[in-house]
Amino acid sequence: MVNFFNRQTWQRIFVVFQKEVLDNARDRRSLLIALIYPLMGPLLLSVMISMVVTVTSSKKVVRETLYVHGIEYGPDLVAWLEKSGITVVEAPSDPKQAVQRGEMETVLLINPLFSEKFLKQETADVSVIVNTSRLPGLIAVNRLAGLLGKYNQTVWGERISQRGIDYQVLQPLNIKSVNVTSGAHISDIFLYMVPPLIIFNLFMGGVYLAIDTTSGERERGSLESLLINPIERWGLMTGKYMAALLYTSVAVVVQLFAFKFGFHFVGSSGSVFSHSLSLLDILLLFLAMFPLMMFAVSLQFIIATLTRSFKEAQTYLGLLPLVPAIPGMVMVFAPVQTQDWMMTIPAFSQTLLLGQIVRQEEIMLSHVSLSVAGTMLISLALLMIAAKLYRRETLIFGG
Amino acid sequence: MIELKNIHKKFRSVVALEGINFTARDGQVTGLIGPNGAGKTTALRIIYTVMNPDRGNVLVDGFDSVIQSSEVLQKIGVLPDARGLYPRLTAREHIRYYGKLHGLRGQDLESKIEALIETLGMQEIADRRAKGFSKGQVRKVALARALVHNPQNLLLDEPTNGLDLASSKTVHNLIHQMRNQGRCVLFCSHIMHEVASICDRIVVLSKGRVAAAGTVGELRQLTGKTEIEDVFLSLSGDDTSW
Repeated sequence: MVNFFNRQTWQRIFVVFQKEVLDNARDRRSLLIALIYPLMGPLLLSVMISMVVTVTSSKKVVRETLYVHGIEYGPDLVAWLEKSGITVVEAPSDPKQAVQRGEMETVLLINPLFSEKFLKQETADVSVIVNTSRLPGLIAVNRLAGLLGKYNQTVWGERISQRGIDYQVLQPLNIKSVNVTSGAHISDIFLYMVPPLIIFNLFMGGVYLAIDTTSGERERGSLESLLINPIERWGLMTGKYMAALLYTSVAVVVQLFAFKFGFHFVGSSGSVFSHSLSLLDILLLFLAMFPLMMFAVSLQFIIATLTRSFKEAQTYLGLLPLVPAIPGMVMVFAPVQTQDWMMTIPAFSQTLLLGQIVRQEEIMLSHVSLSVAGTMLISLALLMIAAKLYRRETLIFGG
Repeated sequence: MIELKNIHKKFRSVVALEGINFTARDGQVTGLIGPNGAGKTTALRIIYTVMNPDRGNVLVDGFDSVIQSSEVLQKIGVLPDARGLYPRLTAREHIRYYGKLHGLRGQDLESKIEALIETLGMQEIADRRAKGFSKGQVRKVALARALVHNPQNLLLDEPTNGLDLASSKTVHNLIHQMRNQGRCVLFCSHIMHEVASICDRIVVLSKGRVAAAGTVGELRQLTGKTEIEDVFLSLSGDDTSW
């Protein structure tokens, strides 16, 4: 009969825990995964955000330059553009190639017949050359399309008025677009990338320890000796489990702080990032993630116990973090409406909650409770399976 | 004292042990000998509770190895066949780890560790990490951690296999010392001369059964042979896998 409340057993569990923490603190690989790997995601994201912020906000200060090919064909249009605050510059002779090479973001092509048609009040042609695969190109073409649309409307209004028709009658809607993603805020989309990065890291943090203390111990030939000590097998596993959980927690905390500092650094211009992830947020995130850490480590122990060798365990567990991170990665591009049932699924519920916390959306207590309770329950069930696997005679052989 | 009563063990369809009976008494070195695959390691694993017998039972100082495994584990010290160390822990930390798992603490534990380091001549490696230890050094650490709790019963699986002469001698001295202190030593080996020279009683295993048991003299008498190799070979049915 398993006795969970024996003081002596817990003292011995703590001995195992202490040993594994010390042993792995001397291992460069364990430390790398717990302390350095978690910095990668925040670093990458911060660099990306700061680049986007630079691109989207730099154009505001300087007077905009527009490269035009065929300035001589559309003097009216060019004059209007200059009046609107644009510096018009003659484009190179091969504008397509110039845009392709990235010498400029856009070139406006004015058709040689432009003035002729324009004067006859026929539809005159202009084209825009742009490379939309580049973010600055996309922003530039957006701005140019807006400008040309405005010109179109101005000319159209004038022509209609000349015919004695009230311009207002033909314009039932006056569309003013208010772009909420002004300037730096365009990079808010990057906040959606935070949850999958956290989930990935969470499933990585203690993985080396889980392998080292199970398949590693078996492969080194130290497991059998260890089993001949007066500590029940579930206790032995619990000590190792707690050590792996500690390393996972350290990895998660390191990453959360890296996100905080990264965002603070890139968000100094007063964007949403400088407010993201207060200390309270970090504490909440950690608590909301804790059941998932238990889930991850339980799963790692099951796999590490079942595999025959260190290498085999490493292969499976190296792939494991990708699986729970997938929903989060998909949601970067296709966010979902949160439903209650989603909160019962480990990894998925945390992805949703993480997103809400990071984006400072309203969080429902019922959702948090469902997520914590659901994942905790499943984790405990997995932990019991892991303990059962530890009890098998074949533990010393693996498989 | 270790008593095995009618132990049976099967791995899927392979019969490993088929009704093993023997007793290893206190104050004696009992040798368990047999060709490869005779069931020596399985018998030891059942005694030290890593495996359960399919039938029969093992008593260690009167405690049943299945239902009182925790008591049994406190009464035995084991040098198993697989005796890997943790490469990042020092020799002293290995012994301390096992001592703590046996509930030892503080000055009591530290002085026991110090005594073992001295007995086994480990002063030089005591505070070195185990990575790169020689076979002999590994064996000494494994022995020390098996002895830290002063067990009444000592189980040794091929303790001198691959050791140099000096290290083998240290192990032999230790075995004698334990016996003279009135402890029960179960010594498992396939090196015939070693078993014959240091064991008080010998149990010969062959194909999962006890082929014979007794002192060297009794076994010689039983087989009518004088050369120790011939004695064991004849008892194991001329098995060539020694």
